[in-house]
Amino acid sequence: MKTAAFFRVEGTLLPRPAITTAAWLAANAQGIGERLARLGNVALAAPFAIAGELAAGDAAARVTWMGIRNMTEDRLVVLCEEFFEKYVEDDLEEVGLDLLKQAKKQGRRVVLISDNIDLVIQPLADKLGADDVICNRLEIRNSKATGRLEDPVLGGGVAGQWARGFASEVGIDLEQSFVYGATAADSLLMSAIGQPCAVNPDRRLRRIAKAHDWPVVEA
Amino acid sequence: MALKKTAKNMNKTKATHMAVDMKNGSAISIRDDFRGKHLVVTGVTGFLGKVWLSMVLDRLPELKRVTLLIRPKKGEDAYARFERIFEASPAFRPLRDKLGQGIRSLIADKVRVVDAQVTKPWCGLGEEKAREMMADVDVVVHFAGLTDFEPDPQHSVEANIHGAAHAADLASIAKHARYVHVSTTFVAGLQDGEVAEEITPGVGPTGVTFDPHEELKKLEHNMVQGELKQERVDAVTAQAVSLGWPNIYTFSKGLSEHLIALREDVTTTTFRPAIVECARSYPFRGWNEGINTSGPIVWLLSTAFQRLPARASNKFDVVPVDTVARAMILVTAASLRDEAKEVYQCGSSHANPFTFRRAVELNALTFRGIYDKSEDKTEKNLLRYLDPTTVDPDVEQVFGHARVRKVARATRNFIRKVDVKETLSKKQYSRWGERFDKKLRSFSMDCRSTDRKLGKVDDMLKQYRPFIYDLDYVFRTDHLVDETAALSEADREEFGFMLDYCWREYWMKTQIPGLERWSIPLLKNEKIYDDVPLPKPNDTQDLTREAAMILEESKNRDSKNRGQRASA
Repeated sequence: MKTAAFFRVEGTLLPRPAITTAAWLAANAQGIGERLARLGNVALAAPFAIAGELAAGDAAARVTWMGIRNMTEDRLVVLCEEFFEKYVEDDLEEVGLDLLKQAKKQGRRVVLISDNIDLVIQPLADKLGADDVICNRLEIRNSKATGRLEDPVLGGGVAGQWARGFASEVGIDLEQSFVYGATAADSLLMSAIGQPCAVNPDRRLRRIAKAHDWPVVEA
Repeated sequence: MALKKTAKNMNKTKATHMAVDMKNGSAISIRDDFRGKHLVVTGVTGFLGKVWLSMVLDRLPELKRVTLLIRPKKGEDAYARFERIFEASPAFRPLRDKLGQGIRSLIADKVRVVDAQVTKPWCGLGEEKAREMMADVDVVVHFAGLTDFEPDPQHSVEANIHGAAHAADLASIAKHARYVHVSTTFVAGLQDGEVAEEITPGVGPTGVTFDPHEELKKLEHNMVQGELKQERVDAVTAQAVSLGWPNIYTFSKGLSEHLIALREDVTTTTFRPAIVECARSYPFRGWNEGINTSGPIVWLLSTAFQRLPARASNKFDVVPVDTVARAMILVTAASLRDEAKEVYQCGSSHANPFTFRRAVELNALTFRGIYDKSEDKTEKNLLRYLDPTTVDPDVEQVFGHARVRKVARATRNFIRKVDVKETLSKKQYSRWGERFDKKLRSFSMDCRSTDRKLGKVDDMLKQYRPFIYDLDYVFRTDHLVDETAALSEADREEFGFMLDYCWREYWMKTQIPGLERWSIPLLKNEKIYDDVPLPKPNDTQDLTREAAMILEESKNRDSKNRGQRASA
């Protein structure tokens, strides 16, 4: 049976949370008034983000992306390309990249998990040569974002559930697979997979890792 | 009229046969339609004509001959003008790249160039020479025309009405009397909404009935009224509007269609392209020539004047020049088969609509990327963050060009009245009066230049207004879609009318870079150079031999490719 290496993108590969992408998109909307309104909308997600995914579930992700409602698909595609070039491509965590290279060398299937949107994460997956990607997708109707996310919405405990379903679907031995996370919100995902590893963990995840005797890797 | 109706019915019957053939699985081959045919073509020095001719010579080696009617200009005879085109025009780059010096023998083999002038009877050839030339001609394709929106009416009538009539006269003395007439979709005039591919002679766009011959007489009378150009323009524009056309250009093209549709001595196929823009792939991505419709709009939106007086939801009916050239080949082939419909429209608003809202946003997104890499601080730190938008042309915008123009004019008038010597004391004047006076005069000149530039922008936007604000057309293109469906798969790839491309890709990666390279410099009074001309042959004999070999190789390669495609 094959094994996989699951990477929670935020924290292990990217230093910024997904809300920064939404805020940047909002700040580059059409016209100054629209920019301010959208930024205000994205800011509503801040309390949920601070409370953490474990407490807020997927509400943080849902509220975050509401801020780009009615933005055109053209603008989203072009701005996400710019965001990727400026803030993603050359700003990846060295430690995460090393782990990813190692996983590929060991013949593991590389899976990226992110609560960012596909327009940013798919180019990253292509660049890193990842085998699979699970991330949020914006619902687009009549060439405009509706402000809703397509199911399944990543956030809270969904990533863990998805990983189990994915493993049984493609025949992956979860017990022998690796998972890399960086925040306490990733702990549900990490406890669903046999070989968890905390990368640059926040305070709460560090505590959890210590309690469960998970290895910790730092830059 | 009766004969005309019979011709129409004949076309309908043949179209039905075509549909039956399609059901039986026998697809149409464009190459077979052009095999051994002789074409007479006008207007190949224009943007579309050049691309069409280059594509025909490149892709249809089966063609027997093309006779080009070209007007001698500025001391150059027709051949010298054409030689300059095939030696250096970017439209012929694919042929030069493929054949090198061999292009000369291709031209010698297939092309005949004749000194002609479409504005004169028999295109300036004289009846005898015209009859001799037309003896074995299969079709006349008429591209020539004047596309200025507000020209001196006399020029417009000469080029667009008499020119078309003279080209049709030539067609009428050929064996098959086939005539392909290039018009414009904007003959739809003041009636917007869905525009069908049809023409009813004597009924204007808004339903006004008229006698085309009488209107031509009236037009010929109006176009000489008044000493000033503007008086003549006003007189003819009033006539145009009364019949349902917004300007002289669409009126002359529209009236010409009606006059030709009444003729019983030719079988006319009218081809109406919409706004012809940068090439998608032929002759190469992004190529454009001259100042066309979208160039000034794109340029205006890239400056500090970020307000386009257009209706956001209106369709911006843009079609790449190579798509139009392919469609023209389809239409010419249909005419050669005697299966052509009366009218073909070639636009995007029906199959793949593109709106001004989207164009303006894609413009902003493209220039955002360009300005991000710019070294100009204004572009990088200010223009990059501004987003253009569409506005109501009847409401004066705070930072709109009209307001800025007024301010510039008022400032200039004020400065002109200022007498520095009188305003300043003697002591002040002797210290820095002259310098101040010089600065003031220079600023006054800047204001005048701004006023003039914005005046040009204003005139242009006024001319565009009917098409970008008042009227929203959807030009049906069913006839081209039908022609494409009847083609073999290989021909569909090469000649089919395909509009399945993504506008974002086209506008950002093809159209704007193309305009930046080939059109916008002209708006800034900069020169655009053609390709480095093909060197003249030194040793004609050797070169001819070499060219013949290259041509032979190319023919063999083509037939081999065709064989492979057929077997596939």
